[in-house]
Amino acid sequence: MKTILRRDKLKIYGDLLSALYSDSSAEKVVLTQVQVKIKVPFDRLKTYITELVDLGLIKDEISLELTKKGTQYLREYERVLDFMKRMGLAYR
Amino acid sequence: MYDVERITIEVVSAIACFILVRFMLKPFRLTGETRYLGLPLGFGFLGISYAFSALSFSSLFDFASTKWVQLFVRAFAFLFLAVTYYFSKSAEEPKLLWNMTLGILAAILTILILLAIISPQLLWPNYRLAQMFVRVFGLICLSYISIRALKSHMEQPEPTTLMIPLGYILLGIGQYSLLVWAVDQSIFAFFGALVLRLAGLAVFLFVSFRTFYDSEKRGNR
Repeated sequence: MKTILRRDKLKIYGDLLSALYSDSSAEKVVLTQVQVKIKVPFDRLKTYITELVDLGLIKDEISLELTKKGTQYLREYERVLDFMKRMGLAYR
Repeated sequence: MYDVERITIEVVSAIACFILVRFMLKPFRLTGETRYLGLPLGFGFLGISYAFSALSFSSLFDFASTKWVQLFVRAFAFLFLAVTYYFSKSAEEPKLLWNMTLGILAAILTILILLAIISPQLLWPNYRLAQMFVRVFGLICLSYISIRALKSHMEQPEPTTLMIPLGYILLGIGQYSLLVWAVDQSIFAFFGALVLRLAGLAVFLFVSFRTFYDSEKRGNR
């Protein structure tokens, strides 16, 4: 049986920022599509978005555009994840 | 004989390890998970033990009093790395267990170092035999890590994930060469071990720089 691993908040933030960044080229970011991508319930997705706005990683809850700080965080997050994958260490 | 060459290789190895610590700290700094502390601790202790080796070959330092410290530090370096890989495979939340393991290992290492400094006669009287055990122990740890890293590569077979197992395998063969040298005193085995170690560390440096600086140059965002 496949185990479903619990993700911590940091991983969810990273996945969410990544999903928002990849959807940023679209005319409008559709939250339900983001929800499907990162696999979290809709109410919790809204909470995470508010938290990311408070942290200054997203401009606002309407445009869902990443700030400069958000882009930098996402870039570092992806690099470290890549490094851990190369090192043979899993991060859930 | 060959003291300058030995000192140079030990110093270069120590510097390589200390540079690697900077990269190995990044997963811990980003995630805040203590189980990733094993990587910087492992490479940091390896660097310290190589620095001790360099000092032991120079005439500047009385090695006799600190040889045990060097031995323990090296053994614990391999242990920290192996434990990190052991905990990374666990599907459950290993936080508490890892924190306890880290605390216990740190306490044991501190006690052993204090014993080595205060009362070395209480430790194993035969240093050469202890050194042999540490080399075998290092070889076992590196074999385990290589297998874990190779398994991880097989789960995600990409060319980028093959380099690190190669690095660990080179370090492992280097450790094996040191064992051969201890038995037959072959100078080729000794220098072979040092060259293999350098090659292994070079692989780690290459992967680290490539991950963090190459992607920056590409400027993908």
